[in-house]
Amino acid sequence: MLARVANNLFWMGRYIERSEHIARYMHVNYFSSLDAPNELSRSRQFVLNSMLRMIGDPESPEGTELNEEDVLFKLALDHDHPYSIISNVKYTRENANSARDLISTDLYESINKFYHFVLKYPVDHFLKKGMYDFCINIIEMSSILRGKIRSTLLHDEVYAIILLGVNLERANQLIRIINSKYKDASISKGGYGNTFRNSFEWTTLLKSVESYDMMRRFYKKTPTSATTLEFLILNPNCPRSLMNSLNQIYRHIRVLDNSFRYNKNSTAFLVGRVRSEYQYKYIEEIEGNIEQFIDGMLKNLADIGTKMENEFFHY
Amino acid sequence: MAILDSTIFSSYERDHALFDELYDSNGKVKDIYQKLFALYGAHSIDDYMRLNEKAKSSFFNQGITFQVYDDKEMQEKIFPFDLFPRIIDAKEWELIEKGAIQRSRALNLFLHDIYHDKKILKQGVVPLELVSSSENYLHQMMGVDPPGGIYNHISGTDIIKHNDGKYYVLEDNIRCPSGVSYVICNRTALKRALFGVFNHYETHTVTNYAENLLDLLETVKPKGVDSPNTVVITPGMYNSAFYEHSYLAKTMGVELVEGRDLFVENEFVYMRTIKGPVKVDIIYRRIDDQFLDPLEFRADSALGVPGLFSAYKKGNVTLANAPGTGVADDKAVYTYMPDIIKYYLDETPILNNVHTYHCSRPDELKYVLEHIHELVIKPVDEAGGYGISIGNRLSKEEIEKVKKQIQESPRKYVAQPIMSLSVHPTYIDETNSFEQRHVDLRTFTILGKDKDFVLKGGLTRVALKRGNLVVNSSQGGGSKDTWVLKP
Repeated sequence: MLARVANNLFWMGRYIERSEHIARYMHVNYFSSLDAPNELSRSRQFVLNSMLRMIGDPESPEGTELNEEDVLFKLALDHDHPYSIISNVKYTRENANSARDLISTDLYESINKFYHFVLKYPVDHFLKKGMYDFCINIIEMSSILRGKIRSTLLHDEVYAIILLGVNLERANQLIRIINSKYKDASISKGGYGNTFRNSFEWTTLLKSVESYDMMRRFYKKTPTSATTLEFLILNPNCPRSLMNSLNQIYRHIRVLDNSFRYNKNSTAFLVGRVRSEYQYKYIEEIEGNIEQFIDGMLKNLADIGTKMENEFFHY
Repeated sequence: MAILDSTIFSSYERDHALFDELYDSNGKVKDIYQKLFALYGAHSIDDYMRLNEKAKSSFFNQGITFQVYDDKEMQEKIFPFDLFPRIIDAKEWELIEKGAIQRSRALNLFLHDIYHDKKILKQGVVPLELVSSSENYLHQMMGVDPPGGIYNHISGTDIIKHNDGKYYVLEDNIRCPSGVSYVICNRTALKRALFGVFNHYETHTVTNYAENLLDLLETVKPKGVDSPNTVVITPGMYNSAFYEHSYLAKTMGVELVEGRDLFVENEFVYMRTIKGPVKVDIIYRRIDDQFLDPLEFRADSALGVPGLFSAYKKGNVTLANAPGTGVADDKAVYTYMPDIIKYYLDETPILNNVHTYHCSRPDELKYVLEHIHELVIKPVDEAGGYGISIGNRLSKEEIEKVKKQIQESPRKYVAQPIMSLSVHPTYIDETNSFEQRHVDLRTFTILGKDKDFVLKGGLTRVALKRGNLVVNSSQGGGSKDTWVLKP
């Protein structure tokens, strides 16, 4: 596979995954705030700030009044904002275009439909009453794309590259969402029945990554900071967990580099190292140092991305 | 035929001066179209409009589009596609196929000759200055032997049916002819919309193009290569034919590369992959001669590969088509095609050339001057349609003026009869009915070493504006599925 095209496919995977996370975060947080148990979590400003934090927008100065429509527009349909859903979908299609000969007609057609759906979505309708409909469609369409990737592509290097993008982005988004909700939980603690440990925000966090139901099934208890983080970071069977993403990344990097002996400068080596570290961690080690964990993991993921670029996409 | 009174064909108006592909001169539907006519006639206009919309969205969703700018935004448009197919029977097709191969072979021999011994020029069959003055003549190709001896691997031959009912070739395209992907897309779209009609006809498939292309390209692999590595090179995804480039790469199962993906080392060509350099042996190039190699041709080309031409001259890589083929498909050479076929193959042309009168020859000059109102007058050395006069559109004074110009310098002019393209019923959105529209046909011929292939089908292009003879998609042309029937 051409190095240039591999790079495009890798990013195609990332953009698909990114759109889905933004869409879910937006509607889950918005709706959970509507009847949240405490005043702060119910405040619209609180939610809007959380959304901006999730897409990595710089914190607005203390006391700034955010306009709801502006924020929703920015996250969803703003052509000029590089992290908006519409920009992500545009990039998805652009990257797919350049690799059109490598991916299945079926997959391409779905990406194309996805693109036209977002492009044609009326802004006004979205802002007034279409937010849920829009977000749900984005989530469904990205699932369809992943389904077509899995079921219509040859499971070879092309597939491995796309899934590396998907999983690296999934891990990245998870960490960003944990970061955002962790901050929300810290801010909103203090009210009656709302300690940090039992914060309402842990439920929202789980819902933001579509893991609430399965978490309940697994622990059969109301989420706490420890169980939530354990489930999302260390449980390899949770498809959205960090551990699961690391396992996937490892599996797919081995398709590209199956050398028996690791070269210590290779991507596979770094991935294996990070993965092993978390395989043997327990949640108490992380829970006390969440900020350190978040910074460290974001750096690890960025390093893996850079290494991949140098090793495979250099052209 | 009362049932047809209120159908989509009922308001079809025929201009009797035009050759209609559907109706014979007595106004009767031709035998091969009878069944199709009945099947389509059974649709109400509403039905038909719905099908038409469905076909359009099929193209749109597949991303088979081109981009245009309106006032402020970029818009994606589909190429207009007509649901009523054109049918060519087995006998007529045999003639087209043989004729297309004959022309491609003759052109191949002509190219070899003018880049080697130039016998045909020395013997005066084709004037020397025709070739030496052509801007498409590449002196760099002099004495170069392309692998397998093939220059024009892929030819697109533009054919029309004149009002005498005979096929004429208007143009041979042997640089980078495009359009073949639309042949296949048109078939797919028609199947999706109206699969039932295929039950009543035995039509040749068109989806075997890519496999034959790869097969034949591999017959002209460089010497010493066992299993060749083939790629398609494209100018990039913003090129208007990018869909076709990616389609061909995908269906051949080969890489689609851009110039920046390739490099040349020790006169071998390599592509940059995730596992390092991989040698490339055959390049189906969809970039023009001038952009192939900045070291040899246009130095400012960012699309090409530095050193590619030297690797080619060494015989280490096959380029299809070969550089320099453009010299053989221009207007001036076209007029000598019957002589070229005779000279190299000792055969008479199977497909007609539009007859050309050279005003430099006294008896032909006399004919031209007497029949100017039924001729097209063209200067020999102007390209792009400049200086052309169409006889029946000239006023009396203008005719006198043209006559004077010709008499002053007869060597500068040639003349051809005014050709009339046949018409085919075509669905027109604005009127929701079928109307007569002019059509042509582009066929696709592939030459390999001792092997050839003509795609059984072709691109029937339609001029969508009433009375218009220009079928190019850049000028609002559409296309139709083209059925070649089995005998």
